[in-house]
Amino acid sequence: MNCAKLFLRRMGALVKLSLLELWRRNDMFVLLVLALVLLVPLSMARPFGVEGATRYFDEAAFLLIWAFSLFIGLGTGGRLFASEFSNRTIYPLLAKPISRGQVLLGKYLGAMIASWSALAFFYLLFAVSSCLRGGDGFSLCLLQAFALHAACIALVVAAAVMGSFLATPSASATLFAILFPAMFFFGRRLPDYAGNAVGPTGWLVWLFYWLAPHAEFFDMRQRVVHGWGCVDGVVFLVVLLYAVIYVSLLLVAARFVLNRRRL
Amino acid sequence: MAAMTERVLEIEDVCRSFGGVTAVDGLTLSLTCGEVTGFLGTNGAGKTTTIKMLLGLLRPDSGSVRVFGQDPVEASSRNRIGYMPEIAYYYPYLNARELLAFYGGVCGMDRKTIRERTDELLEAVGLADAAKRPLKTYSKGMLQRAGIAQALLNDPDLLILDEPFTGLDPLARIQFRELLGKLRTAGKTIFFSSHELGETELLCDTVAIMKQGRCIYHGPVSGIAGDGGGNLERLFLGVLEKGGVQ
Repeated sequence: MNCAKLFLRRMGALVKLSLLELWRRNDMFVLLVLALVLLVPLSMARPFGVEGATRYFDEAAFLLIWAFSLFIGLGTGGRLFASEFSNRTIYPLLAKPISRGQVLLGKYLGAMIASWSALAFFYLLFAVSSCLRGGDGFSLCLLQAFALHAACIALVVAAAVMGSFLATPSASATLFAILFPAMFFFGRRLPDYAGNAVGPTGWLVWLFYWLAPHAEFFDMRQRVVHGWGCVDGVVFLVVLLYAVIYVSLLLVAARFVLNRRRL
Repeated sequence: MAAMTERVLEIEDVCRSFGGVTAVDGLTLSLTCGEVTGFLGTNGAGKTTTIKMLLGLLRPDSGSVRVFGQDPVEASSRNRIGYMPEIAYYYPYLNARELLAFYGGVCGMDRKTIRERTDELLEAVGLADAAKRPLKTYSKGMLQRAGIAQALLNDPDLLILDEPFTGLDPLARIQFRELLGKLRTAGKTIFFSSHELGETELLCDTVAIMKQGRCIYHGPVSGIAGDGGGNLERLFLGVLEKGGVQ
């Protein structure tokens, strides 16, 4: 049989399983609750009668979208294999003619698509509310912001999958729930800090800077909210490439760990 | 289907330990096509570890394992294998039909074949009426039946079953025995671990008895029965005490 066709069927089955899990485990209700929370800042039009204050509420809404997507990405990625191992469903799955690498890729794609669907829903909500208040709504800048945000979530899911192999799901989720926001807010200041630090501390900060996932590269909140326009096309592509390379490295490492894991 | 003389599985001088505990110690065993073999032994004798090595879930520390002439770590070696685990936990949010569709997709089967095989197997294992109920509502016996159905989905030449009779009520046991009988007639090779000596005696051509990671007997059931002239249970205990059959 055509190898590509066979591969696609396997990936399709694993992706469908992840999406069915999201739907059947009532995760959609969590999504709706988060959306309701998101609607609070989004519904603020000219609060306190101040012209332009809406932007700051939009920025808060955007920050909430980032927080929610991080939460969803870490949760979905972290439990991908943890539940397979705890429910022992991994045994009949790996007894089928499918490699561990393919299982990893298929389940990762499923979790990524599930997280992207939630993200798209939040962006849709943002765009519609912006339209209703006379804003830009579905602008090219918002589309670019979504693409970069989605790339960052792909990275978050890959990190969560990798983390779940090395530690308990809750421990890895806690670690990344600290690491990603820390990089998001302070990542761009690390070079200054490394430059000012003396001795081994400086080297350690540089090492951390080069190894840690730079969530701040994907942040386009200010550009969307304050209407600063799109990012240069080359920069946009380089950031996407950064995400692709980082995700690939994480998945290769995860595959290595999974292959050596004793079942 | 495999040729009747084909070596379906070959285990040669395989050792596997976990930390300081030796689970399998110099095991040598082979099966030819169409054989129905019961894999017996006390708890901790190394049966499940052996089965995991046959499926490529574990690598042996030394020795070699070949299934249909291939290393079981290679995914393609499992194209002709059906496996049912000892504890049948499946995705609780799926129903039996979705479970089989999922595993069919993983095996690379097309939709039409999956649909046809699903209808056929759900009928055969007696789950046709409960096919649309989520698995979380199934009893242990029903989960075992779902497990049997998923193991047979890709029409395997070799069926590896880990404690298949666990949790089955007497009626389901009879149905399952009949099902295995049909598979045997169809020339399938069946290798199953069990503590149910009565079922093993009824079903098997040969038995392999494990003790402390070693195979102390591999031969026809009739041979072992003739050795003491009693039932398999008594003779199994005798073999374990003696440590081997000449």
